[in-house]
Amino acid sequence: MTVTPLLPRNAPFLPEDIDMLNKVVARTTPQQRSWLAGFFAGFEAALGGGALPAAAPVAKPRAPLTILYASESGNSEALANKAKKVAQKNGLDAKVFDMADADLTLLAKAKNLVVYAATWGEGDPPSRAADFYQALMSDKAPRLDGVRFAVLALGDTAYVNFCGVGKAIDARLEELGASRAADRVDLDLDYAKQAAEWTEGALAKLAPPETAPAGGTVVHVDFGGAAGQLDDDEPQFTDERPLEAEISALVNLNGTGSTRETWHAEFAFDTPAFSYQPGDAIGLVPENDPLLVDELLKTVGLGSDAALLLKLQKSYDVTTLSRSLVENYAKVTGRGDVKALLEGEAYPKFAADRQLIDLFEAYPEKLTADQLTGLLRPLPGRLYSVASSLKAHPGEAHLLVGAVRWESHGKVRKGVSSTYLGERRKVGTTARLYVKPNRHFRLPPDGHTPIIMIGAGTGVAPYRAFVEERVATGSKGKSWLFFGERNFTNDFLYQLEWQDYLGSGDLSRIDVAFSRDQPEKIYVQHRLWERRAELQNWLQDGAHLYVCGDEKGMAKDVDATLVKILAEQAKGDEEAGRAKLKELTKAGRYQRDVY
Amino acid sequence: MTDDKPSKSEFMKEKSRFLRGTIAEGLTHVESGAISEDDFQLLKFHGSYMQDDRDVRGERSKKKLDKAYMFMIRLRIPGGFVKPAQWRQLDDIAMKYGNHSLRITTRATFQLHGVIKSNLKRTMQGISAACLDTIAACGDVTRGVMSVANPYLSKVHQEAYELAQRTSNHMLPKTGAYHEIWLDGEQIVGKELATAESEPIYGPRYLPRKFKFVFAVPPDNDVDVFAHDCGFIAIVENGKLVGWNVTVGGGMGMTHGVVETFPRLGDVLGFCPHDKVIEVAEKILTVQRDWGNRSNRARARLKYTIEDRGLDNFRTEVEKRLGFPLGAPRPYKFERTGDFIGWRQGQDKKKWHLTLYIESGRIKDTPQHKLRSAIREIADLDICDFVMTANQNLVFANVSARSKVKIEQILAAHNVSLATSSGLRRNSIACVALPTCALALAESERYFPTLLTKIEDILDKAGLREDEIVIRMTGCPNGCGRPYLAEIGFVGRSPGLYNLYLGAAFDGTRMNKLYAQDVDEARALALLDPILCRYAKERNEGERFGDFTIRAGYVKPTLVSNQFHADVTLA
Ligand code: SRM
Ligand SMILES: Cc1cc2nc3c(=O)[nH]c(=O)nc-3n(C[C@H](O)[C@H](O)[C@H](O)COP(=O)(O)OP(=O)(O)OC[C@H]3O[C@@H](n4cnc5c(N)ncnc54)[C@H](O)[C@@H]3O)c2cc1C
Ligand SMILES: Cc1cc2nc3c(=O)[nH]c(=O)nc-3n(C[C@H](O)[C@H](O)[C@H](O)COP(=O)(O)O)c2cc1C
Ligand code: SF4
Repeated sequence: MTVTPLLPRNAPFLPEDIDMLNKVVARTTPQQRSWLAGFFAGFEAALGGGALPAAAPVAKPRAPLTILYASESGNSEALANKAKKVAQKNGLDAKVFDMADADLTLLAKAKNLVVYAATWGEGDPPSRAADFYQALMSDKAPRLDGVRFAVLALGDTAYVNFCGVGKAIDARLEELGASRAADRVDLDLDYAKQAAEWTEGALAKLAPPETAPAGGTVVHVDFGGAAGQLDDDEPQFTDERPLEAEISALVNLNGTGSTRETWHAEFAFDTPAFSYQPGDAIGLVPENDPLLVDELLKTVGLGSDAALLLKLQKSYDVTTLSRSLVENYAKVTGRGDVKALLEGEAYPKFAADRQLIDLFEAYPEKLTADQLTGLLRPLPGRLYSVASSLKAHPGEAHLLVGAVRWESHGKVRKGVSSTYLGERRKVGTTARLYVKPNRHFRLPPDGHTPIIMIGAGTGVAPYRAFVEERVATGSKGKSWLFFGERNFTNDFLYQLEWQDYLGSGDLSRIDVAFSRDQPEKIYVQHRLWERRAELQNWLQDGAHLYVCGDEKGMAKDVDATLVKILAEQAKGDEEAGRAKLKELTKAGRYQRDVY
Repeated sequence: MTDDKPSKSEFMKEKSRFLRGTIAEGLTHVESGAISEDDFQLLKFHGSYMQDDRDVRGERSKKKLDKAYMFMIRLRIPGGFVKPAQWRQLDDIAMKYGNHSLRITTRATFQLHGVIKSNLKRTMQGISAACLDTIAACGDVTRGVMSVANPYLSKVHQEAYELAQRTSNHMLPKTGAYHEIWLDGEQIVGKELATAESEPIYGPRYLPRKFKFVFAVPPDNDVDVFAHDCGFIAIVENGKLVGWNVTVGGGMGMTHGVVETFPRLGDVLGFCPHDKVIEVAEKILTVQRDWGNRSNRARARLKYTIEDRGLDNFRTEVEKRLGFPLGAPRPYKFERTGDFIGWRQGQDKKKWHLTLYIESGRIKDTPQHKLRSAIREIADLDICDFVMTANQNLVFANVSARSKVKIEQILAAHNVSLATSSGLRRNSIACVALPTCALALAESERYFPTLLTKIEDILDKAGLREDEIVIRMTGCPNGCGRPYLAEIGFVGRSPGLYNLYLGAAFDGTRMNKLYAQDVDEARALALLDPILCRYAKERNEGERFGDFTIRAGYVKPTLVSNQFHADVTLA
C-alpha cells in the first residue's frame, strides 16, 4: 500500500481542521515534510528562548502518568491499557501497573495517578489485587501528599455493595493526602462509552495541555495502518456487538433423576475473526423469558404493547433490582414508601432474594413505555468458561451451562441466561456470543509442564478445553483432574470423554468427589487432602494448579486446603503455606477462574 | 454340541487365584462404575452382580455418560432366618447404599439393588457387621440353601433349618479372597497362596455351574423341592424324623427355542438317615463336579448330567463315594407349594407366627403403603424374628399373644393389610426382571401386580376369588420364579409378550405345558377368561385348576421333564 502521512482522527485538532490539514499533507513530498518539521521545531525553540533550530524535532520532558488497575476478568485492565494510548496521544509519559504485581511505594513516587478498580465477591477486591488493596487500607500506607489522582470504579448494580472497592480506594487516597484531580465515576456493566469519556476528561485534568507540549513530541502514529481508522485492539465482538452463532448441539448432561441440570451447548460459526483460547470465557447475550416480561408489563399497565415486550425481552435487564433503580422508581412515581426503601438498612433487607417484578408488585404504579425503559439497564451478557479448543473444533465454541433455578418470596425464579439456553433455545436456532479473553487462566507455555485441574460442577468446563488443546498440539505433559459433583451416576459431566482420555493417556489421573453418594459429604478439597503426598510431588515437578467453578461453594475451601497442603510440605504453619501459595500465584502457577 | 474344549469361564475361574482376580484393583478405578468382564464373573462368587439401569440405557451416551452401572448384592442366609437387630442393620444399609428397598428372593434371602461401585465395599462391611455374608450367594458353587419356612413351627422344621445352615457352611468355598477384598483381611499373595489356599470340596475350577440344595417338610412344598439340583424331603414316622428322601436333577432354566434345554423336576434318588445328610450332599455335589459338562454352560447343570448319564449310574457313583448304599425311598405326601398366609400357631400352641404376603418380595415404601417403615418399626421393638419364604413372603415368627396385637396395629398404621385380595394373588410369584436384570426380555415384578388385578375381575365373574390358584411370571425363560411349576405360568418373550403355560400340579409334582405363544395382555385375558369360567362350573370336587386344564384338554400333562417341549398344541 502507498503510505500517506495522514493525521489520525484522534489527533489533537478539531475534526474539520484534521480534514483541512490532511488535504494539504496528503500531497507533501518528504522534503516538504522535513522542512515543516524543522520549521515547527525551530519555532518552538525560538519561543522557548535561544536554542538552535534542529532538523529533527527535539523531545521535551513529558509529564508522567501512573495508571494502576485492579482487575479480575480483564475489564479494568483493558480500560487501563486504553488510557495509556490516550495519554501517549496527549503527550504524557504513561506507565501501566497491575495491582497484582505492584508495590505501595509506587504510589508515593507517582505524580499523576489514575486508578481503574473492579469490585468482586461481595465488595471484595479482585483476588490478585487483594494484597496491594489491604496494604493501601492498612496504616502501613505511605503519605501521598502531592500526588494527584482520579479513580474509575467498575461494578455491577446487581450487587448491594456496588463499586465498593473503587469507592474505598478513592476515599483512601484522599485520606492519605493525595488530591483528587477528577471526580470518581461508578460504572455498571454497560461501562464502555462512559469510561472512554471519563478517561479523556480525567487525563486532561491530570496533565493539562500546557504541561504537555504536544509539538515537542514525536507523535507516534501507526502510518502503516489505514490512517484515521478506529483504535486497533478494540475487541471485534462485545455484548453490544455480539456474533450470531448457530446452536449445533444442546444437551442436558445430567442423567434422568439427577438433582442437577447442566447444559452442554455447541455453537457453530464461519467467522474466522471470532477466535478464542482455552481459558477464555465466552459471553452470551441472553433473552428474557417472554412470560416474565409479559407479567412485568401487565403490572405496570403496559400489557398490550407487543413491540415493547420484544424490545425488553431482547435488550433490557428486567430482573435485576438495584439501589439506583429504586431511586429512579421513587422519582418517577413520587412514592414516599419507595423512597423510604433507600433509608438505612431498608434497601438490602428488601432487595434480598427479590427481583424487579417484586418491586413493581409491592409498589404498583402505571408507567409509560419511556418511563419503564428509562428505569432499566441494558441486558448484560453472561460469561461462560469455554469448554472447547478451536484446534479440536474449528469454527465451534462449546459451553457448559448450569441451569440456575430457585424459589424466593413465593415465586419460582429462573436464571435469565442459563434457562434461556435450556428452555427457549433449540438446535438450529442462534444465540448472541462474544469473546472475553482471560490471560490469567492459561495452559503453561511449555507443553511438558504438568497441570493439576481442580473443578466442581461447571468448573470442569475449561479443563475439557485444556485437554483438547493439549491433544491437538501433541503436548505430552502430565495432567491430573479433580472433579466434584453430587452423584456419580447422573452428574459425572463428560464422563465418557474423561474415560477415553485416561485410556489414551491424554489425561494422566483423575480423582472424583461425589457429595451425595454416601452419608458423609465428600468434596474435592477432601480428595486433594487425601492425595497431598502425590500432589506435593507434582508441585515439586513444577506443576501448574488451576481452580475453576463456584467461589463460595468450592474455591474458598480448595484454597484453604491448598494452603494446608503447602504448609505441611514447607513444614511450616498456615502463614508459610499461604506464602507458598502466593509464590505460586506470582509465578503464574496457581490460576483461578471462579464465579 | 459338546466339543470338549472347556468354556472360557473355566479358564477364568482357574486363573482367578481362588476368586481374587483383579476385583480389588478394579474398585480403585473411580472414573468408571464398572469392573472388568472377568472380575464381573468372579464377583458373582462374592454374592454380587454388576448390572446397569436398563430404563435409562437409551439416553446415557448422548449425555456423555457411561452406562448407569450398579451392583446387586445377594446375601447368604441359609433357611432365610434373621434376628430383628440384623433386620435393622440391613434396612439401614438399603437406605444408605441401596435403592431404598430390600428384595426377598425366591430362595428366601435378601437382595440389595442399586449399590454403586464406590459403596460396594462399605456395603459388604455393613453386612458383615450384621454377622451375615454374601459368600457364594451367586456363582458356580453351592447357592443359598433353603429350608421349609419357619423353624419355630415344629421340631422337624427346626431340624430342617439347622441342616440348611450346616449344609451351607459345609459347602462354603474356603478361599480367603472374600475377607481379603471386602473386609480388609490380611492378603495372601504369590507362592503362599497356592499352599495356603485350596478348595477341598470344589477344587480350583469350582463347579461347572450353580448348585442348589433345599430341605422340605411335607405336607408343605413351599420350597418347590423338585425344582433344585438336590433336595431333601423329611420322612417322619410316628412323630419322629427318621431321615430324608434325596432328590437330584431339578432345575427350571431353559432357552427359548433350544429344545435340548428344558426345565426338569428332580428324581428321588433314595433315602438317607438323618446323620448322613451332609455326607450324602457332599458326594452328590462332587460327582456333579467331576461329571458335569464344563464345555457348554447351557448344559452344565446337574439335571443334564442325570439326563445324559442316567439316574442309576449316578446313584452307583454316589454310593461308591459314600461307601454305603442309599435306602429305598420312603412314602411322603405334599399338599401345596405356596405359603399359608396369615396368623398361625406352631406345634407348641404357645407362640404366634404371621406370614405376610409381600408383593413380588419387594419391601419398600410407596405413597400408599409404608411397608418398609412398618417392618422397621416392628423390628425396632424386638418382638419377633423374621423368616423369608421361597415364595418371596415374610414370616413374623415367634410372637407372643400380646405382641400380636402390637404388630397388627403397626401394620395397620402404615396401611399394610393382612388380607390379600385373592387366592390367586396369595399364590403368586414374580421375578425381578426389569430394570435391573440383564437377562430380562419382558417386565415381571413391575407389571405382574396390575395383570393380577385384571385377572381378579375374571375371578369375580367366575366366583373364584378365594380359590387358591398358583400363578407365576418371569421376564425370561431362566425360570427364577419357577414358572414351570405354576398352574398358570407367564414367561417373557419380548417387551409386552409372554408365553402362557398351563397345567402344573398344585403341589409342585408336575410341570406345566406351553398353551399359547407371544400373548399380550389382552390375549392373555381373553384366553384365561373362558377357561376360568368353565373351571368354576365344571370342576370336580376338590379338583385343582392345573389338573382341570389337563382333563378339559387345554394342554397335555408333562409327565417326563425331557418331554416338556413335546405334544404342544398352541391355542
Ligand atoms: C432374585 C431371583 C429372582 C426373584 O425374583 O427372587 C433371581 C434373579 C436372577 N437370576 Fe435367577 N433368581 C432367583 C432364583 C432363581 C431360581 C429359583 C430357585 O432357585 O428356586 C431359578 C430356577 C432354578 C434353577 O436354578 O434352575 C433361577 C434360575 C436362573 C438362571 C437359569 C439357570 C439355569 O441353569 O438354567 C439364570 C441365568 C444363568 O444362571 O445363566 C439366573 C440368573 C439370575 C440373575 C442373576 C440374572 C443374571 O444372571 O444376570 C437375576 C438377577 C435379577 C436381579 O436384578 O435381581 N437365574 N434363579 C432369585 C434369587 C434366588 C437366590 O436368592 O439365590
Ligand atoms: C468468568 C466467569 C465464568 C463463568 N463460567 C461459567 C460456566 O462455565 N458455566 C456456568 O454455568 N456459569 C458460569 N459463570 C456464571 C454465569 O456467567 C452466570 O452467572 C450464570 O449462568 C447465571 O446466569 P443467569 O442469567 O442464568 O442467572 P441470573 O438471571 O443472572 O441470576 C443469577 C443471580 O440470581 C441470584 N440467585 C441465584 N441463585 C439464587 C438463589 N438460590 N437464591 C437467591 N438468589 C439467587 C444471584 O443474585 C445470582 O447472581 C461464569 C461467570 C463468570 C464471571
Ligand atoms: C462473581 C462476581 C462478583 C461480583 N461482585 C461485585 C460486587 O460485589 N460489587 C460490584 O459492584 N460488582 C461486582 N461484580 C461485577 C464486576 O465488578 C464487574 O463485572 C466488573 O466489570 C469486572 O471488572 P474486571 O474484569 O476488571 O474484574 C461481580 C462480578 C462477578 C462475576
Ligand atoms: S427369570 Fe429371567 S428375567 Fe427374571 S430374574 Fe431371572 S433371569 Fe431375570
